[in-house]
Amino acid sequence: MTAATEQTEAQVLDAPMPVQPWWQRLLRDPAALAAALVFLAIVLCALAAPLISPHDPFASSRAVMQPPVWAEAGNWTHPLGTDGQGRDMLSRLFYGTRLTLIIGVVSVAVGGMLGSLLGLLAAFKPGLDPWVMRLVDVMLSFPAILLGLALVAVLGPGAGPVIVALAIATIPDCARIARSIAVSVMKQEYIEAGRALGLSDMALFTRYLLRNCISSIMIFISLRFGQIILIGAALSFLGLGARPPTAELGMMAAQGRDFLLFAPHIAVIPSVLIFVIVLSANILGDALRDVLDPRLRS
Amino acid sequence: MSAMLQVEGLTKHFPIRRGVLRRVAGTVQAVNDVSFTVGEGETLAVVGESGCGKSTIGRALLRLLEPTAGRVTLDGTTVTDLAPDAMRAMRRKMQIIFQDPFGSLNPRMTVAETLAEPLLLHELATPGDVQDKVGALLSTCGLQPWHAGRFPHEFSGGQRQRVGIARALATRPRLIVCDEPVSALDVSVQAQIVNLLKDLQAEFGIGYVFISHDLAVVRHMADRVAVVYLGRIVEEARADALFAHPRHPYTRSLIAAAPRPDPTQRNVSAPVEGDLPSALNPPSGCAFHPRCPLAQDRCRTERPALRQVGTSRVACHFAETSEAGDSRPEAAPSEALRRRLAILDAARAKETA
Repeated sequence: MTAATEQTEAQVLDAPMPVQPWWQRLLRDPAALAAALVFLAIVLCALAAPLISPHDPFASSRAVMQPPVWAEAGNWTHPLGTDGQGRDMLSRLFYGTRLTLIIGVVSVAVGGMLGSLLGLLAAFKPGLDPWVMRLVDVMLSFPAILLGLALVAVLGPGAGPVIVALAIATIPDCARIARSIAVSVMKQEYIEAGRALGLSDMALFTRYLLRNCISSIMIFISLRFGQIILIGAALSFLGLGARPPTAELGMMAAQGRDFLLFAPHIAVIPSVLIFVIVLSANILGDALRDVLDPRLRS
Repeated sequence: MSAMLQVEGLTKHFPIRRGVLRRVAGTVQAVNDVSFTVGEGETLAVVGESGCGKSTIGRALLRLLEPTAGRVTLDGTTVTDLAPDAMRAMRRKMQIIFQDPFGSLNPRMTVAETLAEPLLLHELATPGDVQDKVGALLSTCGLQPWHAGRFPHEFSGGQRQRVGIARALATRPRLIVCDEPVSALDVSVQAQIVNLLKDLQAEFGIGYVFISHDLAVVRHMADRVAVVYLGRIVEEARADALFAHPRHPYTRSLIAAAPRPDPTQRNVSAPVEGDLPSALNPPSGCAFHPRCPLAQDRCRTERPALRQVGTSRVACHFAETSEAGDSRPEAAPSEALRRRLAILDAARAKETA
């Protein structure tokens, strides 16, 4: 046998077990697949809102409180009917979803990043730990709704203050989770090995600590996303979020409240959409955790 | 000429803090006044039971744990005085191999990244030639070039330990602290790794501080042995002398306690009784006196200094007298030990053939 064939044989025997990539395993779960498709469809509709809206979402028509197409008095001009001011529900829904998702994504991204950074720093520099965690405890003692009210009182209503309030509400939980993940990583011997090589703190933090924590933190943040959407919608429902006539799902539900008896679709349709967004985000987050967390792998 | 590595009075105490105000409630005296030297290409084994401070000695001399007191000098540079930046550069010359081959490699870095990191960090390679140097390191440690792109979880324990050794070797260090490098591996793999370490030492003249509780491996590896009890060296001697004529009663018990598979031999030895006393509150006098068969009143009050007895250094009041009377030197190594040594030698013969 020649050396070359020997080597290939050894290479074959030595080859690692083929492992499916995580997204393939994720989509094998039917619930996760359904949630992924629904969520993707909602995101695409929101992104394409200006292109696919049949009407101007802010223009009133004479057809006030027209029921959706499946009701007796409905017609295809306004497939989901119109609201109390005669604006097309479907168009408003597209635009409203877009704003709701933007509020959720931006606040979770900003809050998640700041919170994770705080938590990782607390674990990396034990001297900082008590200070960071006491700060987090203080932040944890303000409910997001109360914080939102205070911020709106200072900054005035609008999407901006809601995003700030939601980001601040995301920080403490993320910091705690990130810290607990990072503390267990810091105990691993490879951190000491990195130190023994003479790595700088910066390299140790990014290449060793962050790289080993990031997937667990991302899972937590994706699970938080649904909750943040819900709190954001609640703030809008209370009139703290986007200012009319801007469309936002929580605000649309609030506006429909006055017509609940005569035209329930105005409140119900945006509420159902919020429900679907939160549900699919949560199912996706759960499935992601099952797939990425090696401890749960069967 | 002075030795390559000199350790003088190395001490590491861990304060125990309690309560809201974090007051110091006590001190764990993990390592107390430990001194030794290691020459170029020499192996000093540090042995002792678990919790005696072996690993702390290794980490304190590398300043992975900041020593409470003492001086460490490597090639004339006083390591313990270096500022953080100089210390980071100094780490090039002093490396460590860890016990756990599963926990000591960054799971998110490929082998190539793991090995390139120290090379680039200490400017021993340029981005252009780093791949070649990584390949050379892999083959030095008995791995194949195609292993470079793999992640640690794709390897067996022995292969991972080879990666760990390659990483320690990357910077061409003068000193490597081997912290139980083979105790997590099974016996046949142990033999390969131990022999790899010996070959590398012969090739590059590296000094080893070889921390272990496995006397068979120590006997095979070490030039000199330091026996540690409760954070202090109680006996230090050349390996052959130590195994043939152990002078400290603790060394004798340690050698006698090596496992024997023969049930009829079970009661021949008199292993140490009881547990290791707490380092939080060490016994007065000689720390070994509560478990020592030779203990007398003097041992309870007066701590024996580590002093020269023949070619060894021993910390026992009766080092000169006890050996003659109570000596049961290991004339015949136990069956298990002989078998282990045979495996080690066979693996070595196979590799060199």
